[in-house]
Amino acid sequence: MDGWLNVGALVKVLVFGIVAGAGLPALFALGVRTQAVGSGTIDGQHLAGDRRPLLTAVAYVCFALVAVAIVTGVLFVARDFIGHHTGWYILGAEAK
Amino acid sequence: MNESLIILSIVVVTALAFDFTNGFHDTGNAMATSIATGALSPKVAVTLSAVLNLVGAFLSTAVAATIAKGLVDANLVTLEIVFAGLVGGIAWNLMTWLLGIPSSSSHALIGGVIGAMLAAAGSSGVEWKGVVSNVVLPAMLSPLIAGLVATLGTYSVYRTTRGLDERRTDRGFRIGQIGSASLVSLAHGTNDAQKTMGIIFLALISYGSVSADETLPPTWVIVSCASAIALGTYLGGWRIIRTLGKGLVEIKSPQGMAAESSSAAIILLASHFGFSLSTTHVATGSILGSGLGKPGAEVRWNVALRMLTAWVVTLPAAALVGAAAYGVTAGIGGLAGVLVVFAALIAGSFAIWLRSRANVVSHDNVNDEWDDRASSRRPAAAGAES
Repeated sequence: MDGWLNVGALVKVLVFGIVAGAGLPALFALGVRTQAVGSGTIDGQHLAGDRRPLLTAVAYVCFALVAVAIVTGVLFVARDFIGHHTGWYILGAEAK
Repeated sequence: MNESLIILSIVVVTALAFDFTNGFHDTGNAMATSIATGALSPKVAVTLSAVLNLVGAFLSTAVAATIAKGLVDANLVTLEIVFAGLVGGIAWNLMTWLLGIPSSSSHALIGGVIGAMLAAAGSSGVEWKGVVSNVVLPAMLSPLIAGLVATLGTYSVYRTTRGLDERRTDRGFRIGQIGSASLVSLAHGTNDAQKTMGIIFLALISYGSVSADETLPPTWVIVSCASAIALGTYLGGWRIIRTLGKGLVEIKSPQGMAAESSSAAIILLASHFGFSLSTTHVATGSILGSGLGKPGAEVRWNVALRMLTAWVVTLPAAALVGAAAYGVTAGIGGLAGVLVVFAALIAGSFAIWLRSRANVVSHDNVNDEWDDRASSRRPAAAGAES
């Protein structure tokens, strides 16, 4: 690397950072919203009907996507460790 | 037991001590906002963070990257330089902890090593271009990027849940916050424990007990480094947690979740793409961003400014201590020199700890109201008007 700064890698950090670091919280928030609305309107302290199962389903899809992204991320970080100890080289890990 | 083996043992102990300060200095990076919003009780938060740091330290089995690589001339590194550098790093970490300032532990260590090298070999021993492109530029850019991502995240979270009753969304966001804070702890373990492993690895190589071709540090190095950073994390740097959680921004769960998601993403991505950066800089940038992204939220810029000053001062200040430590070590020479500086380090650390007893910040008062007028770093005395 000749330059003072690897600009290409920096741009990747920025782009992926926005997708994962801002996108996932937004997706989670969408899940929170659809879950809240889907479980019906609040009348005082009690739920007062108007349940919308479709929205509830959307909420769980959102949460599931976030969970999958996080599990993938953790596996990615641990891929060398997992490969080293189990012999399963996943997500682009390489045997050393 | 010969002399150089004793020096090696002292270097290893000092490195583990640094790892320990690294742990409690950085607990706040992951857990400050969860403690501030009440998503986790302080004790549970530090325990969770400690366990995840421990796990994270084991997960990263890549060749422990030497912190000195590309920064100082590796051929000139001696045990005494490593030792003096560690002393500089520990001293600066303890000083900033006393003041409650979240400064970078990595910068403290790098500064210490550079200072010791300057004292030992002069300017030619330092690779200045490497220092600028591997340390200074990432330090300036990473808080900005993390802040931008956290601002976008916070804004979109608030935009998405606009008009909803907070009581119905709070539980969800608290769970999200705990999850994202856990990821930051894990990322911290994989990143920072590695730095000390690299230092000990380097010391073992220069002593000759480990071949430079080894791809993994000996198991006892991994276990002891992981334990030291986890123990430090569990102790909880309450002063710094307080500054990050209460001082910078009054934070709510959705903001905390957005801030930690940004921190975790940037730390993991940056290390994947080969940037060495400070988890502290990223976490602070993210927390600031979460204040900017929430409509109507207040950011205490005077607190931010004080942190910024400390960041700028960290490298030269730790370098100064590192250089002085090397001067004394080499001046007296041999084992005696190392022992004198080691004793001075213990005495100094004890003095700082005694000083900290004057205004204790603990898990009991970490969330007290932030008093900006008076002694802004300290929680109001128990029972006093805030």
